[in-house]
Parts: sequence; C-alpha cells; structure tokens
Amino acid sequence: MPMEVLRLENAQKSFGSVRALKRASLSLNEGEIVALLGDNGAGKSTLIKSISGVHPLDSGQIYVRGAPVTIRSARDAIDLGIETIHQDTSLAPDLSIARNLFLGREPVKLGFLGVFAPLDRPKLRGDASALLRRVGIAKRLDADAPVKTLSGGERQSIAISRAMQFAAKVIILDEPTNNLGVEETHSVLRFVKEMREAGHCVLFITHNIHHVFAVADRIIVMRRGEVTAELVVAETDLLTVESAITGADVATLMRDGKKGLRGTSADG
Amino acid sequence: MVAVSETPPARPSLWSQALRAPEFSSLVILVVVLAAFAIGDSKFLSPLNISNMIAFLPELGIIALGMTLLLTAGEFDLSVGAVFALAPVSVMLLAQNAGVDLGVALLIGLAICIAVGAINGILVTKVGISSFLVTLSMLLIVRGAALYITQGFPLKAWDRPGPLVTLLAGSFDWGPFRLYTSLWWFIALTALSIYLLDYAKLGNWISAIGSNRSAAIARGVPADQVKIWLFILTSVLAGLAGMISAFRISAASPVAGTGYELEVIAMVVVGGTALTGGRGTILGTLVGAFMLRAIRNGIVLIGVPGLAYNIFVGAIILVMLVLHALIQKNKARS
Repeated sequence: MPMEVLRLENAQKSFGSVRALKRASLSLNEGEIVALLGDNGAGKSTLIKSISGVHPLDSGQIYVRGAPVTIRSARDAIDLGIETIHQDTSLAPDLSIARNLFLGREPVKLGFLGVFAPLDRPKLRGDASALLRRVGIAKRLDADAPVKTLSGGERQSIAISRAMQFAAKVIILDEPTNNLGVEETHSVLRFVKEMREAGHCVLFITHNIHHVFAVADRIIVMRRGEVTAELVVAETDLLTVESAITGADVATLMRDGKKGLRGTSADG
Repeated sequence: MVAVSETPPARPSLWSQALRAPEFSSLVILVVVLAAFAIGDSKFLSPLNISNMIAFLPELGIIALGMTLLLTAGEFDLSVGAVFALAPVSVMLLAQNAGVDLGVALLIGLAICIAVGAINGILVTKVGISSFLVTLSMLLIVRGAALYITQGFPLKAWDRPGPLVTLLAGSFDWGPFRLYTSLWWFIALTALSIYLLDYAKLGNWISAIGSNRSAAIARGVPADQVKIWLFILTSVLAGLAGMISAFRISAASPVAGTGYELEVIAMVVVGGTALTGGRGTILGTLVGAFMLRAIRNGIVLIGVPGLAYNIFVGAIILVMLVLHALIQKNKARS
C-alpha cells in the first residue's frame, strides 16, 4: 500500500457567483507522478492554488500524511512541504539565481534581527552552486547571474531545483512545459522523473497528453469543478483520457472513430 | 541540461561589472557636469558654493533614499513634497501657538507622517488602487491641510534654539566649509539604506516584490506588509527632511517642497533605479541627488536664466534615461 502524502476532501471554492470548485476530492501518494487534466475552466488552477495557499478554500479539508491541516497562505503550504511552481510566475527576473533559489528562506547571520538580518552571502552562493551542481545545470550557470538572462527551460529548471532543495513532500507544477522548446521540454520531464525517484510526489497540470503518457503514473481528470475520473496510465489509452476530459461518452467516440473525437474536442 | 561545456562561464572582471552597472554611467555624467560647471565658473568649486550645495543636498537626498526603496518594490509616492511642508508646519504651529513642548510636537509630527504613509500603503496594497492615484490624492489632501491650518501664510520665524533644533539643523565649520548636521543624517541614512537594500534579507524581499510580486508572495514573502512599511518610511523621511529644512532657515511655509515629488523621482531614476521596480541602487540615487543639485546650482552660476533651469533638468534626465536604456539593451544582447 503506497504511503498517502496529501488528501483533499470536498474542496469548495467560489469567486463571486462562479463556483470554481464544487466538492473536489483527491489523494496523492509518495513517489508518484500525477497528471491533473481538464479543459479550460475545469477548476485545475483553482485546485492547485488552494493547495498552495494562493486561494484558501471556502470549505473542505486538506490532510497531509493523514493529519488535517489548514492552508491560508503560501507560507503555510511551504511549511507543510508543498512546493508549487506557478506558470511563468515563480521567479523574480531581476534577482540572481542564488537569491531566487533561497527567496523567502534566505540564509542569514544574526538571525535575531529578523528581516533586518544580513544575508549570509558566502553560504547563499555556496548552497546555490551546490544545488545547481546536484541537478546538473551548474556547468553552464553562474549563481550570481540574474534570472532574466536565462532561457525558459533554464528558468523552469531553477524553479524545479528550488522546489527539490527543501525536500518537499509534494511538488506542484502548473503547465511546466508551456512555451518551452523540444529539448527544454525533455529536460523538464526528466526532472519530473528524477523527483519521483527521490521520493517526492509530483502533481502537474498540462494540456499536452503526450507528456502525460511519457511520465505520469496516474491521471486525475476534472470537469466543472469536480474530479470526474481517475485513471492509471498503464491501464488506459489516449482515447479514454480525451473523452474523460471532454466528457464525451467513450463508447460513442469508439464507434465514430477519429472523426467523432475531433468534433468533440473542438467543442470543448 | 543541453550544453556539455565543462568549465563554468568566466566571471566578468570587477572592472567590466562596474562599467556595466547603471550607477556607473550616471557617475560619468555627474563628473562631466561638475567639470563643465567648474570650467564655466571658477566660483562653482569655491568653499562657499560647495557648502551651499551640501546644505541643500540632504533635504531632497533623504527623501530620495525612501523613494529608491519604494520604487524598487514597484511603487512610488507623489505626496512627499506635501508631507515635506505639512510636518514642520504642524510641529511649529503646535510649539509656537499651542505652547506644546517641542519634543512632543516633533512626536506628533512623526505620527502624522506615519499616518499618511500607512494610509497610502493600505490603500495601495489592500484596496488595490495604483500608487499613482492614491498618492496624487494624498498630495492634494496633505498640501491642502498645510495651507488650511496656516491660512496660507508662512509661520513666524522660529527663534528658540535648543538641543533638538541643533540635532536637526545645527551647523559647524570644517576648514573653509560650513556644514550642517543634516549631512550626518544623510550619511547615516544612506549607509542604512545601502545595508537594507543590498545586504539585508529585507532588501532581497524588496527587490523580489518589485521584480515579480506574485513570485515573492508564492515564496511566503509578506509583500503587502513590506510595501506598507516602505510607504511609511518614505513619508517619515519626507517629514524629517521638511523639518531639517524648516529649522535650517528658521521658518516653515505651507508651500515648501512644491514639486519635490517629481524632482526626487527624477534623482532616483537618473541614478539607475528602474521606475518599473525590481532594480534599485542607493549609490545611484546618491549620484542622482548630487547631479540634480549641482545642475540647479551650476546653471545659475554660469549665467543661464533661472527660468531655463527646468529645460536643462528635463534634457539631462532624458539623456540619462536613454543611456540606461541603451546599456540595458546591450546587456540583454550579450
């Protein structure tokens, strides 16, 4: 029996009159890669934002390793070992790689000074270089270089390394391969697999179903604010997944073949 | 990742790093400006004139320090010029007309500055109105309050020396130069600002908030609180500068500091701090403050009509911004 790291029960979240999440439930295990799929507006982003503390839930319960927890802010989530890499927004472009890697958890001297404490620059630089070496990108990158000088793939790698360094239990990636080139996409997917090897649980949102079949163990499908299907990658196929996303009847799709599938997808 | 080169990229030498720093081009221009004025009029570098420049410098410079931190966090404050007037006007009114002890009056003045900054900060961060609109409205309110409580007239001359007055605006002679204690305030506050922005944990947060607010928040940085405190700091520094100025000339005027907000922002961006946030330099602001001060002083000395002053200031600011933009572009390409 795999060890459960995170469970969400009956999560509800509304923005005004829009019910973005209505009774969404899911469970994540140690050392697995789970893909979160769904059409635009299905509630995927709201769901991960509620787990990462950006949009606290209206109601529902989150459990970490079986213990009920409350997540009201990004800090709460980070402290519980939930690291999130938001789409395009996880790094500060003007800051150096080292400062980004430790943003919010800067090594300091004279810690009793609180936010006025001086940064421990040698440690910051040393730790950053060690981390970059560990994830295999140190050869090309200077820890003091500002993030805006990096390519999209390098930025994703930096964001992912940051999530790995604090031994997060759950790492959430929001469309990690968006806007990346082919090689960069492959290196990000390789990272995702490495995180699984290291025992982390990875939850990632994507629109590219081929990436899902390349790395994921399990698929969770959302529709209209609810989790509507859970599929094991090894036991399913593209057609089943696509029909689960669009909500079309699988049997109908099978009968109508590819033409029907295309028509249904376009509607979504 | 993709590349296989074994050696890390050569770290640029200190010299070439300095050459590319935004402060450096500002410094070069400052030297050119100073040299031009020195050649244009020999009195420019006379002890009396240098003393004059150094007497004025801290007053806008102190505000510019707060503005640099605030701009780095991605916000600005247009109400500083008005606070520059309201703080000393309130303090002197209380002390002269209401018979309040000067120490207590100064504390009340401080409280007014804190309140103005806190309201600015809360409206910007919690209500989500742009700092341009919030602080523009605050400018009108604060300037209006200063005019109303004085009925539009300057206060009568301050004629009571004391340790607090000396602390704010005492003067002393150093060789041929006449210097004011405000210079110590400015030096100490500059050192403190450099420490805060470049060496302290808070500085990392300030830059991160200005560079990418949502990324900073996602890392648990309390972005709103930091911004509110920076608004308060800027307001308090504007009040302090106003107090220093009023006690130096022994008079408070409700129209003092008119237009200072734009001059201070000009100092800061001329120094190389990005108006869009994320990149701030206190040393650059120091250069910017010197530059605008020297221009204001030198232009009059070399015989340009005072009314033409703003043409030069505007042109020099534009030249500086073009230079910074070209350097940034060049950086991005390399």
